[in-house]
Amino acid sequence: MTYILEAKELRKQYADKLALRGLNLQIAPGEVFCLLGQNGAGKSTTINLFLGFVQPTAGAAFVNGLEVATNPIKIKEYLAYIPEQVMLYPHLTGLENLALFSSLAGYKYPQWELVQYLTDAGLPAEAVQRRVGTYSKGMRQKVGIAIAVAKHAKVLLLDEPTSGLDPKASNEFSELLRRLSGQGTAVLMATHDIFRAKEVGTRVGIMREGELVDVRPTATLNAQELEQLYLTFMN
Amino acid sequence: MHLFRILFFYEWRHFRAARGLVLLCCLLLATGLYGIYYGTTEIERQRQHLANLPELTRRNVDELKVKFPGPADAGDIGYYHSTFAMHHPDRWAALSLGLRDVNPSYVKLRLLGLQNQLYATDNTNPMKVLSGNFDLAFVLVYLLPLLIIALCFNLLSSEREEGILVVLLAQPVRPAVVVGAKLAFRLVVVLGLAGLLSVVGMLWAQVPLDGRVIMWLSLTVLYCLFWFGVSLVVTALQRPSAVNAVALLGVWLLLVVLVPSLLNLSVATARPVPQGIALTIKQREEIHGGWDRPKTETMNRFFALYPQWRDTATIRERFVWRWYYAFQHLGDLAVAPQAAAYAHGLQQRYDLVEQLNLLSPAINAQTSFNALAGTDLPTHLQFQRSATRFHDSLRAFYYPFLFGKVEFTHADYAREPTHSFTSQPELPTLYRGLVKLLLSVAAVYGLGAVLWRVRPIIPR
Repeated sequence: MTYILEAKELRKQYADKLALRGLNLQIAPGEVFCLLGQNGAGKSTTINLFLGFVQPTAGAAFVNGLEVATNPIKIKEYLAYIPEQVMLYPHLTGLENLALFSSLAGYKYPQWELVQYLTDAGLPAEAVQRRVGTYSKGMRQKVGIAIAVAKHAKVLLLDEPTSGLDPKASNEFSELLRRLSGQGTAVLMATHDIFRAKEVGTRVGIMREGELVDVRPTATLNAQELEQLYLTFMN
Repeated sequence: MHLFRILFFYEWRHFRAARGLVLLCCLLLATGLYGIYYGTTEIERQRQHLANLPELTRRNVDELKVKFPGPADAGDIGYYHSTFAMHHPDRWAALSLGLRDVNPSYVKLRLLGLQNQLYATDNTNPMKVLSGNFDLAFVLVYLLPLLIIALCFNLLSSEREEGILVVLLAQPVRPAVVVGAKLAFRLVVVLGLAGLLSVVGMLWAQVPLDGRVIMWLSLTVLYCLFWFGVSLVVTALQRPSAVNAVALLGVWLLLVVLVPSLLNLSVATARPVPQGIALTIKQREEIHGGWDRPKTETMNRFFALYPQWRDTATIRERFVWRWYYAFQHLGDLAVAPQAAAYAHGLQQRYDLVEQLNLLSPAINAQTSFNALAGTDLPTHLQFQRSATRFHDSLRAFYYPFLFGKVEFTHADYAREPTHSFTSQPELPTLYRGLVKLLLSVAAVYGLGAVLWRVRPIIPR
């Protein structure tokens, strides 16, 4: 089977902390893999290693078969990243931010299409031409999603994407992930939200102290069982 | 290149939105224009003064013609007649005043001893001298780096601090392209401003369109590149914006204020120069002593130097002009070693500063601008040497009247030598300055390249 994301014995040692201890992970196209774990468990480090923002101490991360460390630019053509707080240029409008980031990704869209991406991501049409500085966190998140979608990314890397979003926005976000997953986009999502993970994930992995201690298909668990499993590992 | 263009274009959008920076650029433009106005006004004032001097000489001659209606003793004329050694500024001087505000642009000369006349200057408000010139070179050398610092202190750090950098670097774009586009945009803004000010200054000052235009622009570009290089080095350390700002201002303070001050102190210590006042006093004592010295002794010393006048009659009178001018000249000769040591000492100090100015590109740039405009110390020393030669020619003109007992007629006024000296650029200094600036730029970019290589951009 071809994996779009793969980690082989991925290890990251910071000056005083071993953040990741030989992570092995494979994610197939269309899969939504949710990483659960406490703060400092290694979820964000894993995402940063796939993005090439940090270099592994040992092992390797692969995106679409390319090693991240040796192809740091090429792999970003396949990736889209939505952090916990999507921060954009505040003096540019949502439309201008999308135009900038999609053109950096190599896509030049006419204005109507950019507007379409933004409204499809859930941004109100009246906000499209407003400066991002006036946006709420949820609205910025939606622009972030539009950037990811417009890039036609094969992989979405999400770091606590629903943190701080209201239930409606979170729900819309889950809906969007399902849609993208249905189109073959792989998703790696680091989250604390067990119920959201159960809702949108195809697999969940539980991380503790830099190790992936358990991986389960979400279909085999209900939300309570997942929570119980999570708490068992955390305790 | 395509990504570079996109980023470059958006830098323009970011710049336009940052009103403070736009305001700062406007402020620099305004101060630059004021600098040009100040420089051209100051040089125009000096030109006006110099233009009035021949008229003053003419009036002086007219007064003497009234005072001495017929043929007169040349001694009287030499005593009462004043003329001027004039130091005409080069057109470039308006853009870099250099020492033209502290050194006199003309010297009023009579046939008396030269040395005390050479150092007699107009009264100048010391507070004005202390504050220095506000010319275009000042704006470029001292203020433009501050604009570069304001534009570059948060080159990447603002995006990192705002959390935008992670989104930006998650795109398939090389960090070097991001930094390069940001730097290139700022470079275009700064060089555009500096170039605009330079062109306005050149047009305003009506400089001749010669190689110095290229030299001036090259100096400006290299100096700006140096400060951009410093910003690049500080950015490579990937510290918060506040730390970057403090570091860059620290470098500015070091290179623009501290190093020049320390250099000034150390050069003054290493190359002591005899006090000008000591020279003047010694010359005055020598001349005043001439009144009491036996005339034969004075004249024998003079004839040893000018044997062609030895055959003139022995002086028996109580006062004779040729004796008076002889001991005036002997007064100059008595302090000739001190005068030479003074000029030599100044030149040595200048040379030492020029050697050491590699330590501070600000001093180097200022020295080079002054050399280009002919407003530096060597040019002033050249003028002093030229004024000395003029005084020699005045003596050579009057001596036949004095020693040959020829009467001075009204027609002789027109035959009197005149003087004019126009600043010339110190091209060797300028070339050396350019090379040193190039070395500074290479060094700072080399350091920047090493730092960027060993410290990849951390987006968070």
